[in-house]
Order: sequence, then structure tokens, then C-alpha cells
Amino acid sequence: MTVIINPEGVADPQASPARTTRATLRRNFWRGVWRVLRRKPSRMAGVVIIVLFALMGIAGPLLYPDNLPRDDNALYAPPSLAHPFGTDFEGTDVLALVVTGARYVLLTGLATAAITVAVGTAIGLFAGFRRGRWDTVLMRLTDMNLAIPGLPLLLVLSTVWKFEGPLEMGLVLGLLGWGGIARAVRSQTLSLRERGFIEAARGLGLPTRHIIGRELLPGMAPYIAMNMLIAVTGAVYAQVGLFFLGVLPFESNNWGVMLNLAVFNGGALTTPAALPYLLAPLLAILLLTLGIVLIVDAMDEIFNPRLREE
Amino acid sequence: MIVGTGVTKTYKQRGGVLGGRDVPALRGVDFAVPKGGAVSFIGESGCGKTTLGRIIAGLETYDSGDIVIDGVSMSGLSHRRRQPYFRRIQLIHQDPYSALNPTRTVHQTLQAPLALRARQTDRSRSWTDERAEELLSLVGLDPGYVLPRYPHQLSGGMRQRVVIARALTMDPEVLVADEAVSMIDVSLRLGILSLLKDLRLRLGVGVLFITHDIATARYIGDDSELYVLYRGQVVERGNTETVIADPVHPYTQSLLSAIPVLHGLERPGPERVVPTEALDEAQADGGCLFARRCPFATERCVSEMPVLGRPGEGGQRHACFHPQRRSVIPVGAGRHAGAGG
Amino acid sequence: MTPTTVTAPGVRIRDLTVVYKTPAGELPAVSGVNLSLEPGTITGVVGESGSGKSTLALSLLNAVQPPGRIAAGSVEIDGLGDVLTLGGEDLRRARGRQVGYVFQAAQNSLNPLKTIGKQLLDLGRSHDVEDLRGLVRDAKELLARMGMDGARVLDSHQHELSGGMRQRVGIMLALVLNAKVVVLDEPTTALDMITQATILRIIREVHDERSLTTLVITHDVGAIAEVADSLAVMYGGRVVEHGEVTEVLGAPRHPYTQGLIRAIPRLSGDISEARALPGRPPTLGTLPAAGCVFRERCERRMAVCETDEPIPVFRDGRTVACHAVDHPLALVKRKEFA
Repeated sequence: MTVIINPEGVADPQASPARTTRATLRRNFWRGVWRVLRRKPSRMAGVVIIVLFALMGIAGPLLYPDNLPRDDNALYAPPSLAHPFGTDFEGTDVLALVVTGARYVLLTGLATAAITVAVGTAIGLFAGFRRGRWDTVLMRLTDMNLAIPGLPLLLVLSTVWKFEGPLEMGLVLGLLGWGGIARAVRSQTLSLRERGFIEAARGLGLPTRHIIGRELLPGMAPYIAMNMLIAVTGAVYAQVGLFFLGVLPFESNNWGVMLNLAVFNGGALTTPAALPYLLAPLLAILLLTLGIVLIVDAMDEIFNPRLREE
Repeated sequence: MIVGTGVTKTYKQRGGVLGGRDVPALRGVDFAVPKGGAVSFIGESGCGKTTLGRIIAGLETYDSGDIVIDGVSMSGLSHRRRQPYFRRIQLIHQDPYSALNPTRTVHQTLQAPLALRARQTDRSRSWTDERAEELLSLVGLDPGYVLPRYPHQLSGGMRQRVVIARALTMDPEVLVADEAVSMIDVSLRLGILSLLKDLRLRLGVGVLFITHDIATARYIGDDSELYVLYRGQVVERGNTETVIADPVHPYTQSLLSAIPVLHGLERPGPERVVPTEALDEAQADGGCLFARRCPFATERCVSEMPVLGRPGEGGQRHACFHPQRRSVIPVGAGRHAGAGG
Repeated sequence: MTPTTVTAPGVRIRDLTVVYKTPAGELPAVSGVNLSLEPGTITGVVGESGSGKSTLALSLLNAVQPPGRIAAGSVEIDGLGDVLTLGGEDLRRARGRQVGYVFQAAQNSLNPLKTIGKQLLDLGRSHDVEDLRGLVRDAKELLARMGMDGARVLDSHQHELSGGMRQRVGIMLALVLNAKVVVLDEPTTALDMITQATILRIIREVHDERSLTTLVITHDVGAIAEVADSLAVMYGGRVVEHGEVTEVLGAPRHPYTQGLIRAIPRLSGDISEARALPGRPPTLGTLPAAGCVFRERCERRMAVCETDEPIPVFRDGRTVACHAVDHPLALVKRKEFA
């Protein structure tokens, strides 16, 4: 049975071992990711920014005592060596506030992104793959989700629910925001399912689970990853906005709370004293968004084997 | 053995408010693919050859008629019950570039169906790796080179071989090759064709060959049968060599006449037939479907529809009122290709 | 030659090298190609994937896109000069006015949102045609010449036309501004046999009637055989054989041409004589840096093929670049004359 007919593939002396285990595939993948990221300096800058924020979120609160020290002698102090971004109305270091506030903001962002992507992808994939009645029902559901006015609903919700932790906050934002991804994933699925390899998989009798999870999903990975990263920035804006408006009670330290206090208590828009207090959280948001945008650029290459391996 | 009788398929063209027009893709086609045999369907695009191939591979349903696989009628079975039968008929796609998932290595591509096959046949998981290498060697690829690679790292010919290896994972009875070489480089086409032929002769895998390029149909075996389809109807059918050398239906003759002549190497056939009009799907039915394009049509052809008759003197069957043998294919010019100076 | 008679221009491609920028550096897709298109003839360029034939066609319009770059050589067209020195507005005018281009898979090069007529007018305006009515009249005549109802076609959108009709529209758009040099890139790919035969006949007839100089690029030797006067065979970015079409097909000299012709499925003759070429066509990355580009698939490989690239030698109306065929003879000749 092992007769070779018209050999076309030339033996390559440096060919890798025939059996590609999962572990080697995964190692190759991460090597590829590293290669892609190094291709442009801007991507590395993005990585550095994101790593910085991640560290801030994980270790930030550990760097400072639970109750940040106040200095009654230096209310709204201007930037100095001791206080690079000045102090707030209580004389607390603004940098310390930004650093300790990062965890809440980032956790909410991640939770929101995870939920929007999980729900949106699942619904989009299922609707696009099954088509027919499922598609109709799920897409009407998606339309409803898209039609929900987020801000008014949040205002109403906040009267009955206090959004105590960042994860709850993320849950609510996530459940409000999956519609766009669901629609996008559905249209991608509809076009991918017509490709030859999906039909071949069906012809081979491979289970639907395999077709959706292993054949369809990887092709959409760059798309989903991009959406996820952009969802993080969206979530950060949304919650910071909510806190800024004062819709939500100030339970913990948060960039939105800082903005609110700077503008409404410190009068940062009229007097220069509270300006650093206002600008510091804004700068943090700006940097975070920049970092994400710089990395999004690499997603296509990371998840497309051809672009990755080159 | 796959036998089809009176297979029909009509597509509803989506239209405006008043509903669509019906487009018949197959108008009652009879065919038989013997065990380990070779059958070719040829015709222009829109003649229904691809639809027929997809129906035989179980990727599409038919409206009426019946398909009998190994003595079991598919019409009486539910969709789920049909699956195991149709799984033994595997389709080889025209486009080796879209037929393989770009995000999966060849190893992964073969692994999934082999794991399924291992479960079906109570084999151990380790069998799949051995089998993958065996299948790749069988289709003429070096497993060590190909297995860890992604599709984009392989040439078109190599990809098509991987696609064939993937189809072989199911131990198919029949491979349906839909224009399987039309996107392959010319110098490699014969390699794929002779691979199909060898699989048939060595392993007894039947081949159903669908193509618009009649010349390629000769290369899957001299015992193969040729079906000429025109607008969903078989207009001529017989041994491939016979039909090509001695066609009697004017449509077959037009198809053969249209094949470019390698001037210098061969001379055009003396009686080439050129259709009088371009293919128009919307033209009214009734009468011979080819009548309007046929240079030899008579009044009878316009009013009455010919059906596929009994085998004639050459051994082939045809659906024509005025069958006439014409020598349309190029003849050798007496010089040999390889004779260089 | 009176001013009113327009004769077909000749085209001379000299030492053309086109490189593509890749992570592995700049690699040549077309390497030192010399090719003359005689006035009033149809030249066919045949090659497989990666042979550089499409890049060569684009060079004729100086339209190689980055990451590609024309690194060296010249493309002289009578009445136009060296196309490769043209730039900006001059180049844009030359395309369409002097050199017409029918794109590969013309079915996809039409704008799906505009009628053919609108696209024709756009073309006219972008070339400052004063007499747009005359342009439409010419277009209708051309379409009628190709067996179509001109008025209906101009009112149609791309999706309302069949593959063969789109191909004819592509030819019309390439010719309507009276270009005298026409480049057709894969004019019959994805067409049915009967449609292909019709298109090939039209190309030949229109070429003769309008006294054009035509270049047809294809992977299909059969299509070239039907339509061309001379045939250039490309492999790995080089023209390995060039001569009269019946001569090249009837008595190919380069081992690649011989192998290619032997690999074509034929309607008559002994099928057991046909066989595929071993190996596979080279890609930019797998082209050998030195020696003959075809040697890995060649039956007649010699030691010299590993090190020296064969020089194209012209003899008996045929140019062949192969050590096995011409080297001994060429050497003898040189010794005699040098």
C-alpha cells in the first residue's frame, strides 16, 4: 500500500519531524507572535504600554497602603518631584490615585470584552452556521440588543443596583454591547461556510462541534481579537463616563471618579490648580487606547499562518 | 456501485414579488458508476455536471428520481440515514486553494477525519498517525515534508494531492473529481490525472470525473465511460475513446471542435462543427435543447425532443434525430513532440 | 508609408529585469528578458505559475506595482519611445491610447456598480476624448463586430453579462481608444471550450482587421497555438525558447518546452506517451541563484547547468536558452568567428 506515485514533494533534509504535536504547534505559534510583534517598532511600543498597564492593574494597589496618605498642606499641589502629577483636593498623590485606580478600570474593561466577545461570537457563529429559523430568531435578538439605549438603561439600573465590583460593572456593559460583534461574526461565518474546506469537512462527516470550533473559528480569530481589543477601549470609556457623570456611587478609587472630582469639585475647567488632577487620568486613558490601537495592527498577521511565518 | 435513474433538480431563481423562474439543472439523468470504474461527465458550465457531482457526493438533494448506492435506495432514507452511504463518496474540489483550511497544518487536516475513522472502525488513536503518512505516500507526497506544513507552503499540485489524501481517509468507494486539474499548472496536470487512474487500478476506488476539458477525460483510464451533458440532459454516452474519436451528436462535435489545435503538432479535424449561436439558458423549451445552436437542425428538432436511445453501431447512445459521424478532432501532423534539434 | 495608413508598431523588450521585494531581499520575477514583438503579429507568452509572464505584461505598461520594481532594461514601442522612462501624465495617456490592456479574468475588472456605457464614458473623459458620441459609436461597432448587440451591452451591468461577453467587453475597452499595441492577460481562463474558441477567433480577426501588434499571455499552450504567430516560452522569469508557433510546437528544442508539450492532455494520439514533468514550478523563493533555472526538473542536465546560466542563442529563426541544445554548437561558432 505504500507505493509512491509520481513523487512531487521533494524531501527536505531540514524538514521538521513529521508529527506535529500540540505542544510544538503552540510553541511555533508564540514564536510567530513574537516575530510579528518585532516587525514594527510601533507594535513593540504598544506591547510595552499594555504590559505597563497590566502590571499597574496587578501590582499597583500593592505598592501603596490601603488608605493613600493625605497631605493637608498640599491641596491641589502643582506637579513636583514628590508628586509628578500634583495632588488632589485632599492632598493625595495623583499618580498614586491613577495607579491604584487602574485595577478597577482594567478589570471592568476585560470583563466587558470577554463577555461581549463570548456572547457575540457564540450567537454570530451559531446563527451564521445554522441559518434558517435559528438565524432569524437570533438576529432579531441581536437587533433588540443593538436597539437598547445603553446610557438611559444604565441610569435606570443604577437606581436599583449599586454595581459594587468591577466584574458586575463589566457584566452589565458586556451584556449591553455584544450586538455589533454578533452581527459581524455572523456575516463572516456566512461567507466562510461557503468555502471548500467547510464543505469538505461536512462531506467527511466531521461533527458540527469540530467544524465550528476548529475550522470556522480560527479563520475568524484576527477579527474576534480585534473586536475584543476595541471592546476594551469602549468599556473603559463607558465606565469612566458613567463615573464622571456621577451616575454611579463612588465606592472605590477610579479614573472616572477622579475626573468627576476634578471638574465638579476642583473646577479644573476654570482654574489651573486642579488641571494636573484632571489631565492625569485622561492621559492614562489616552495611553491605554494608544497601546491597544498599536497592537490591533498586528492581529491579522498573528492569526494568519502565512503572514505569521514569513 | 452507484446507479442513478431519472435524477432531476430544479433551482428556483430568486425573483421579485411575483416569484422566481424555475431553472432546470438536471432533467432526468440516468447514470451508473460501477465499482472501481471510471465515469466522466463533460459539458459547458451550466450543463448540470457540477450539480450532478454534488448530488452524488451527498452535498445537495435531488427533486425526483432515485440514487441507489450498493443496492440501497437513497430516496427512501432520511437525511441522517443517507449520510453513511454518501460518506463513501468523496468530492475533490476544483480549487485546491480554498479546499484546505489555511489555518490548519496538513497534519491537523488529516488528523480530524482519521480520528473519526478510527472511532468508526475501532482502531487505536496511534493508528491515525501511521495512516496519515501512508496516505500521503500513496498520493505521491513525502510525509516528512508535507505533514507539518500549512497549505500556503505547498504548490497547487501538492495541495490537490493533500485534498485527495484527505478524501481517502474515509476509505471511499468513489472519488468525485470536479474540475480537479483545471487550476493546476499544466506541467503537473497529468500527474494528478494518473494518480486518480492509479488509485482506481490499484485500490479499486471508482472515479467520477467532471470536466469541461474533454481531453483530460481520456487520462483516467481507457475503460472509462463518457457522458456528454447539455442543459441538464445526457445527449451522448459511451466509451470515452469511442465518443471522442467518433462522436455522433452535433453538440459533442461542437465541444470537440472547440478544443484548440496544437498547430505544428497536429492539424484540425476536417469536419469541425461550430455552433451557430451562444448558449442561452432562457431559450424556450420544447424540441431538442440544442436545436437553436445546431447547424444541422431540421423542423423535427424544433418540435420534438429526442431521447437517449439504444447503443448504435459505434457502441454509444445518443439523443439526436440526425446522428452523423464527423471527424472533428485534430489529427497528428506527423512530427513528434520530443524531437528536438 | 503615407500618413493616413497606420501600420502596427513594433515592440522591443531589452534586458528587462523586474524584482520583487521580499523578506529575503529583492528577488527577480523577470530576469534579463529580451523579446521583440514584430509589427502586426500576435506573440504568445506561455508559462506556468511563477514564470513571470504577468509581470512581463505589466512591464509593457510600466505598471509593475510595489513591492515589485523594474530594475533594469527598456521597453521600446514604435511611436512612443521607451515606456519605462515615461511617467505621470504621459504614461497614463499611453495606457489606453497606445497600449490597450485586457486584464486577467476581465470578468472582475469591470465596475459592478456602473453600466458598461458609463465605464466607457469614464474612460473617454479620463483620456480627454472630445467626441464622446463618436466613442460610443466606435464601441458599438466593435461590440457588433464581436457578435454582440452594442446598445444592449452598453446599458448592461457587469452581472448581466456572461463570462464570454465580459471578455469581449474587456477587449472593446482596450481597443476603443485605437490602441495599436494590445496586451491580453489570460484571455480565455475560466471560459468554456466553445466560448474560448469564439474569443480566440475574435482576437485573431480583430487583430488582423485593425493591424495591431498583440501580446497574449497565458498558461494554456492550446489557446496560444490557435491564435499566435510566434510563441515565447517562459520559465522562472526567463524566456527559454522563442520562435514561430508551429515550429516551436512541432519541434521544441528546450527540454522544458518539450516536457510541457508532452504534458498536455490531447484528444488524439497515444495517451501513454504523455507524462507530467517531474518536480514543480519554481517560486520567487526557490529559484536557484546560479545556473539554469530549469535544471532541477530537466532530463538532460549536465554539470555546466549547475554553475552557468545558459545564454539565449538565436539560430534558424529560433531563440533557445539551454546548454544541452545550443552550447556545443554556439561554442564552435564562437571559436570560428572570434
